[in-house]
Order: sequence, then C-alpha cells, then structure tokens
Amino acid sequence: MLFKYIRLYIEFFKQNIKIMLEYRADFIIGAMASLFMQMSGIFFVWVIFKNVTTLQGWTFYDITLVYGLLMLSKSLNHIFFDNLWVLGPQYIRQGNFDTLLLRPISPLFHLIANRLQQDGIGNFLLGLVITVKSLYELNLNLGIKGVALIILFVVSGGAIFAAINLITATSSFWVVNSYHLIWTVYSVNEFALYPLNIYHKAIGIILTWVIPYAFASFYPANYFIHKGYEQLSFISPIVALVLWVIALRVWRFGIKNYTSTGS
Amino acid sequence: MAIIEVNDLYKEYKINQKKEGVLGAIGNIFYPRYISKVAVNKINFSIEEGEAVGYIGANGAGKSTTIKMLTGILTPTSGRVLVNGNIPYKHRVKNNSIIGAVFGQRTQMWWDLPPIETYKLIQKIYDVPKKQFDENLSTFTELLDLKELIKIPVRQLSLGQKMRCEIAAAFIHDPKIVYLDEPTIGLDIMVKDKIRNFIKNINKKRSVTVILTTHDLQDIEEVCKRVIIIDNGQVVYDGKIEEIKNSLGKYRTVHFQVKNCSNNLDNVLDTQKEYLFEVSKSPYDIQVKFDRQKITASEVMNIISPYCDIMDLTIQEPSIESIVRDLYRKQVDNNDFIKENAGNCKY
Repeated sequence: MLFKYIRLYIEFFKQNIKIMLEYRADFIIGAMASLFMQMSGIFFVWVIFKNVTTLQGWTFYDITLVYGLLMLSKSLNHIFFDNLWVLGPQYIRQGNFDTLLLRPISPLFHLIANRLQQDGIGNFLLGLVITVKSLYELNLNLGIKGVALIILFVVSGGAIFAAINLITATSSFWVVNSYHLIWTVYSVNEFALYPLNIYHKAIGIILTWVIPYAFASFYPANYFIHKGYEQLSFISPIVALVLWVIALRVWRFGIKNYTSTGS
Repeated sequence: MAIIEVNDLYKEYKINQKKEGVLGAIGNIFYPRYISKVAVNKINFSIEEGEAVGYIGANGAGKSTTIKMLTGILTPTSGRVLVNGNIPYKHRVKNNSIIGAVFGQRTQMWWDLPPIETYKLIQKIYDVPKKQFDENLSTFTELLDLKELIKIPVRQLSLGQKMRCEIAAAFIHDPKIVYLDEPTIGLDIMVKDKIRNFIKNINKKRSVTVILTTHDLQDIEEVCKRVIIIDNGQVVYDGKIEEIKNSLGKYRTVHFQVKNCSNNLDNVLDTQKEYLFEVSKSPYDIQVKFDRQKITASEVMNIISPYCDIMDLTIQEPSIESIVRDLYRKQVDNNDFIKENAGNCKY
C-alpha cells in the first residue's frame, strides 16, 4: 500500500515537473519574487547587528541559523503541500473536490500530490545557503550525525507546517473560504524566525505548545549552539507526528461534512 | 444479483436561509436559520449488470444528488445504496476502482497537460496492465477520433474536443459501471453523435453498466433501453423507453411564421383534427402539434402551405419537462397511463 503511494507520488511528481516546464517564465518569476521577499527579512537582521553585537546573548550567526532552519522547513511545506491553501476556493467552492473523491486513492493524498509549488524552490535554496553559511561561521563541525540530524529536523519542521495548514484548511468544509484562518495561523511562524528569548514569555509558550512553529527553528538550532534548550530539540519529530495524527482526525471529520455543489 | 441496488434512498440538505440586506447578513451570523430541503425522497430501483439506463428529470429534480450518492460523493441521510455489494461512501477505494464518471460541468483531466498524460496517470492510479491500457487507448482513439487531440494541452481544446477526451478518460480503466452526468451538454450534433455511438458501442461490447443523465431526449433514445424519470425527488416512471416514447414522445410541434393567411385555413385544420392539434394561431404565427406516427412533417406543411405564405418554420421536440408534466397529467387521468391510447390525449 505504502509502496503504491510512493510510486504514485513519483508519477504525479513527473507530471508536475512537466507543467512547470510548460510555464518556464512563471517558474523564474515566482522563484525570484519569493527569494527577494525573504532576502529583505535577513537584511533586516543584518541592519540590527550593524548597531549591536549580541541580542539577548545571541550573535548574528546564531540568529541566522534559526532563520535558515525555519526557511528550509517552511519551503518544504511551500513546495509539497501548497494545494492545501486552495482547498476551499478551488476545490470545495467550485465542487472540484468531487473528482478527488472518485479515485480509488486517498483524497488527501490526491489533493497534495496534485500540485508542486515552484515558488518554494528559491526559498529552499536561500534557506540552504543561510543555514550552511551560519554553521560555517559558527565553526560547528557537524559530522555525518549532525547532517542527518539537520535533515531530520528540517523534515519534521516541514511536517509541522503542513499539519498546521491541514488543520486550518480543513475548516473549508464548513466555511468554504478558509483563507483568512489559514493565513492568520500561518503568520505566527514569523515569530519563529528569531530566538524565543527576545520575546515576552507568552509568545514563547504559544510557539511551543499552541502553534509549535518553534520546533521548526529555535529548538533544533539549540541542539547545535547550546543555549539551554538542547533537550527539547529532540522532540521536534514527535511534535510533527502528534500534529499529523490530530490533523488527520480533523480531516476525516471534515470530509464527512462535504456537501458538494448543486450540479 | 443486481449491480446497483437502491432502497428507500433519502437525502435532505440543510440550507441556511439568508436574510436580506446587510443587517440581515449580520443577524444571520448570530441566529442562523436553517430550513431543510428534501432532494431525494425514498427512491427505489435496481440496475442489472450491462444495462444502459437513462436517468432523467427536470432541473432540481434530484438527478445529480442521486448520482452523487451512487458514486459515494455524498452520504445519504437515510436509506441504502449498494454498488457491486459495497456501500459507496464507506468503501470508497473499493467502489471507486470499478467505476468511471463524467460530470459534464467539470473536468477530471489536468488542465495544463495533454489528455494522454491524464490517461497515463489513470493507468497508474487504477493499476491497469500495460497491454490492456494500450488496447483501450487505441480502440478509443479510433472510435472517438482522438488521434490529433491527445497531445494538445487540455486548456487549448474546444468544448467538444475536451468532452470526447473526457469520455475516454472515464472508460480507459475498464470500469464495470460508468456514470455520465450531462455528457452532451452544450455540444453540437456531430460531437453528440460520436459520443452516443461510443457509449452504445462500449455498453454492448463490454457490457459496461451505463447510467446517463441528460436533458437531450435523443441521447436517451439512442443509448438506453430503460429510463427512470424522477421528479421532486421521487421516481415517477421506471420502465422501457419504447413505452414512454410511444405514449408521449411521438408528438412534435411545428412553428410556422406566416403571412397572408386565407380564412379557409381554420376549416382545413378542422378537417385534419385526427392528426393535427392546433395549439395556437395568430395572424403571423401558427403552432401545430402533430402525431409523427400518423403524419410526417412535410405532410403537415402541404396541408398548410396552400392557404398561407410560410416564411419560416421550426420543429420542436418534446422536452423532458413537458414529458414529466404530461406523465403527471396522465397519471391523474388514468393510473394505468402506459396502456392508455395516446391518441385520446386532450390538449
């Protein structure tokens, strides 16, 4: 069963690459646009550090490591789970969700596999550059174990992003246009671009226990730079798993509420 | 055992009754008022393997809702649907692997890719053996004349071309049952013909069960042997198409646009009462209903043309709505409407 889905995903993936090649200009513009948007964020951090040397004990490269890890996680979600954003407007509102329900495969899998978002690729590359540069400047020798852990953290982070989007997107089954809800919850991730210590405690609690984006950046970064939260860094994969279990429950409940359209 | 069994199927929608105006809209947020609307009201039927059944009714009669429950898209409020022994909305994967569907209003193909890519993906999704897939593809390509089309991105195809490709996509994995919801809507006669012949052919040769909803009676006449008519969520007729056709569908209405009518026309029409039922007559417009088993359209013209200058004429086929309406009228007149002689019909 699992193998069938992996095989199928590869087939969908190939088709999506073909679509991307159909729209080459779109691909380049999209990748560049999101790249510039992210650059401005890192530029902002750079400006701050022109004036100070540390921020609550964090150096410039400590912070860019947090920043880079979040970008990597976020871009994985952006590339592979982007269709969740349009579940309401494109699939439910127009009744196209019907077509997903007519295939002998999981409709959720079908929904996600249907789209590959090229715009995320630029972010992924930028995130990779920032992360690698930060690790290099911090003189951290990772070794194979370290690299494997980084991959595990980033994948977990991506899964956390996707699960949270899945939960908010599922509200489309009731409210049809769920865009505002998805966007509001998603925007909270902007806080996770920087270390939690710089904020009020309440924000730290929210980002850890309510909308746990911090497990995609702050806690994993702590594993490498030792600022006192090392133990929590290993929870990232568990948080991702728990969130997915919840998200799938919510999804299953939501799909029962699907009422299709009039024709 | 029947391949599709429907028992006391019932579906009710909850509709949020919106109040008018901005204040109403705000009030609606706090005190939503729901009314329930019955879309399908305890219907029963069963369909044998290999049958081609027309499922017809006026707009809003409950056709699409029924099809959506048969395919498992919607969950019934109560009652039971069994398709090949499975409950569609519960055993979705099992059920979906043996069905195909076309919804005339939307596409199941990838908008930016040529149809052939969709077919290949369908092959993977349904695990169709390569040999069987290639055979189907070449047969369908020939029958539906797709050779030039399957390599063009879907978004560049015309409506008719797209629909031909869509039909092929619904049959390519050799489904046992195919649901076609308005497959000919908005198409020209040539394309309709191609699609009808294709469906007829596959239904016969591969004994695929076909369930067809449409507004075009010709679709039903050519493809189906049996017809189920639904109105207001209830089955009002379930039987052979011939019986319906003989009793109701044999009338046609001709509209004449005329000039310089002679006064004798009334008398002449009176003498032909047996064949012609004058519906209305004004100085420039005559509508005549005739029984096409007793008289041909050209004979009708021959009767009228000596007395008028005919400027233009159109012949109208009975619509599904009028057939449903007539069915009702007859049921009131005589419960056993099928056996009644249609000639006695009063208009």
